[in-house]
Amino acid sequence: MTSLESIPETLGITAPLVLKGGVHWLEPGVMTVRELAASMNALQARFITITAYQLPHDEGFRLEYHWDLGGQLLGFPFVLAGNSIDSIYDLCEAVDWIEREIHEGFAIDFLGRTYEPLLLRQGDTPGVNLREEVK
Amino acid sequence: MSYKIPMGPYHPALEEPYKLDLICEGETVRDAKLHIGFNFRGIEHLAETRNYIQVIALMERVCGICSNIHTLTLCQSMEQLTGLTPPPRALYIRVVVAELERLHSHVLWAGIAAKLMGFKTMFMTCFELREKVMDVLQAISGNRVNYSMNRIGGVNRDIDDPLAVLAMVQALEREMVRTVIPIFTTSSTARSRCAGIGILTREKALSCGVVGPTARASGLPQDLRRDAPYAAYSEMEFNVPVQPDGDVRARLLVRALEIMESCKILRQALTKMPPGEINTGDAKIVFAAGTATSRVEAPRGEVMYSVSWKQDAKNPSRVHVRTPTFANMPSVRWMVLGARLADTPLIQASIDPCYSCTDR
Repeated sequence: MTSLESIPETLGITAPLVLKGGVHWLEPGVMTVRELAASMNALQARFITITAYQLPHDEGFRLEYHWDLGGQLLGFPFVLAGNSIDSIYDLCEAVDWIEREIHEGFAIDFLGRTYEPLLLRQGDTPGVNLREEVK
Repeated sequence: MSYKIPMGPYHPALEEPYKLDLICEGETVRDAKLHIGFNFRGIEHLAETRNYIQVIALMERVCGICSNIHTLTLCQSMEQLTGLTPPPRALYIRVVVAELERLHSHVLWAGIAAKLMGFKTMFMTCFELREKVMDVLQAISGNRVNYSMNRIGGVNRDIDDPLAVLAMVQALEREMVRTVIPIFTTSSTARSRCAGIGILTREKALSCGVVGPTARASGLPQDLRRDAPYAAYSEMEFNVPVQPDGDVRARLLVRALEIMESCKILRQALTKMPPGEINTGDAKIVFAAGTATSRVEAPRGEVMYSVSWKQDAKNPSRVHVRTPTFANMPSVRWMVLGARLADTPLIQASIDPCYSCTDR
């Protein structure tokens, strides 16, 4: 099992691991979300969820990807200037429903995947549930 | 020739609304699609309109069975933002209520599983046992569903006589050993309906990211009470039951053994409960800006709450809830592949699904 301290080095990230609010945060820097997912698979980390935030003043969104490694919760924030980010569904099957839910709740497109019918039944327009303004 | 059989969203085999589109050849299921969201309530969005007292009452309504777990996880997150640490007695009370809730949930599930097997007498036995647990929860909290036990910095109610609860624990343990576990493990009805049915392999369980008893029944030894202890779990001795087979019987066995482990934890928590305060008092609570996350092992698996607060805000700016059924439900598709159509109600029930949690 990889130790927490060695994770930045294992991932090739220079930023340190910071424990804050119950999560070991690591800024992914130039690492893409797909590279991160592949690395988490290699470490045998367990995918937990993605938490989406809409940033104020049209600054886009922040997606926080969480994996569990030996009982420790890892967090990787990705800021989206636009409305899209690569899907990791083909690398991590467990991400399917949360990508679909965020797509429907925040109108964020996860590129490279298809969507099955809505998870959230009310309404047909993505973004109506959690996003403040549907564009 | 294949044909589609829709099960749900409203169906006698389902406790709550969801839809399973089963693609069958003869009596054999070849593929399945799951549809949820028929009762989606937008609770995460509602939480942004509630203050720190109201949001606890709101999140208690995410689930009718593990209501306490939701407030526990939420309060643990908010305690990180407020810097409040619950007193030791409160941590023990949190363990007691969480384990009583696990008992109630697992025994309820065993009853429903028995009903789906066509084993009605076992259903009645399990529900009689469940009543004993519910009576204790009512005696402690005054409520049978939403216990309102948790608050930021501790709990709302004390357990005045912890040793009185032990009598129920012993009665439940006795009945589990004498009746429930032997019947579920040896009766031909249970064996023929459960063994080798609805298999989720270890590899598929890992890939789907399943949690709780569903994961442990597929050979994955994960349990946050041991791996990332919260409340007073670090002071409890217990085992994490794991079964390798990944079938309905394994999921049934894991829960049955977990009932015994819960009784073991309850006995320790009730006898070792320290004296003292049960919360940090009624002083004004001040939130630091930021995000805090907490995870708890609910009866069905891992629950995670992320709570964000802005400077001087009255309400949270975001509350994200990842419930165990949300993680476990997609795996049902793989469990029913190749199964007999008649087994699908029991297979889908074997993950102990909660659509109330999923449609939060």
